[in-house]
Amino acid sequence: MTRLIPVAVSLAGFALSSAACAQTPPAAGNAEIGSQKVQMCQGCHGIPGWRTAFPEVYRVPKIAGQHQAYLVKALQEYKSGSRTHPSMRAIASSLSDQDMANIAAYYAQLGLRVSP
Amino acid sequence: MRLSWIASVAVALCAAGTACGADLEAAKKKVSEVCQACHGMDGNSQIPDYPKLAGQNQDYLAKALRDYKSGARKDPTMNGFAGTLTTQDIDNLAAYFSSQPAVLQSRM
Repeated sequence: MTRLIPVAVSLAGFALSSAACAQTPPAAGNAEIGSQKVQMCQGCHGIPGWRTAFPEVYRVPKIAGQHQAYLVKALQEYKSGSRTHPSMRAIASSLSDQDMANIAAYYAQLGLRVSP
Repeated sequence: MRLSWIASVAVALCAAGTACGADLEAAKKKVSEVCQACHGMDGNSQIPDYPKLAGQNQDYLAKALRDYKSGARKDPTMNGFAGTLTTQDIDNLAAYFSSQPAVLQSRM
């Protein structure tokens, strides 16, 4: 019976660490700091109706007021290359996780400040 | 003469990006069956991981769905759903969500 205790303890430890890994919180975003880093975003996302010219012509997505978590996910996917767009790949590659969180926080709250 | 006037109005409406050739009722049915669980019936998703689609640019929404369908854009959930959509479905859905009350804006 006592020989089972270490096994039980290690199993419990494993379960706890797994839970901790699964729930690692994303970097908290600071919209104020993010606002200082959006110059490279504004050229396309700040102009209503702006169209990308390459590789396919369509209007770039509106991102003000979008969910912060989704914006971070999109930037991460561009950085990793799993989502492809030449300009966004280049821009996202220059961003740290903290940069992404800050920029996403900025755009998420931007939509809340203005009436549609 | 009268017909050409009607035709030119129709062309102008299409050019303005309204629901040209799109069936919004068909889209609404599809949304209620599939999309709304994550994105909300009007595209204003309440779930942080899923984007708000209401008022989003129509051509961007259509491109996103085409890319999910082709696999160019990868997401296990969206690849599955978009894979079942026809070109007409995609046009309908993009028109529907873009015509919902806008929460998103192009802003500095």
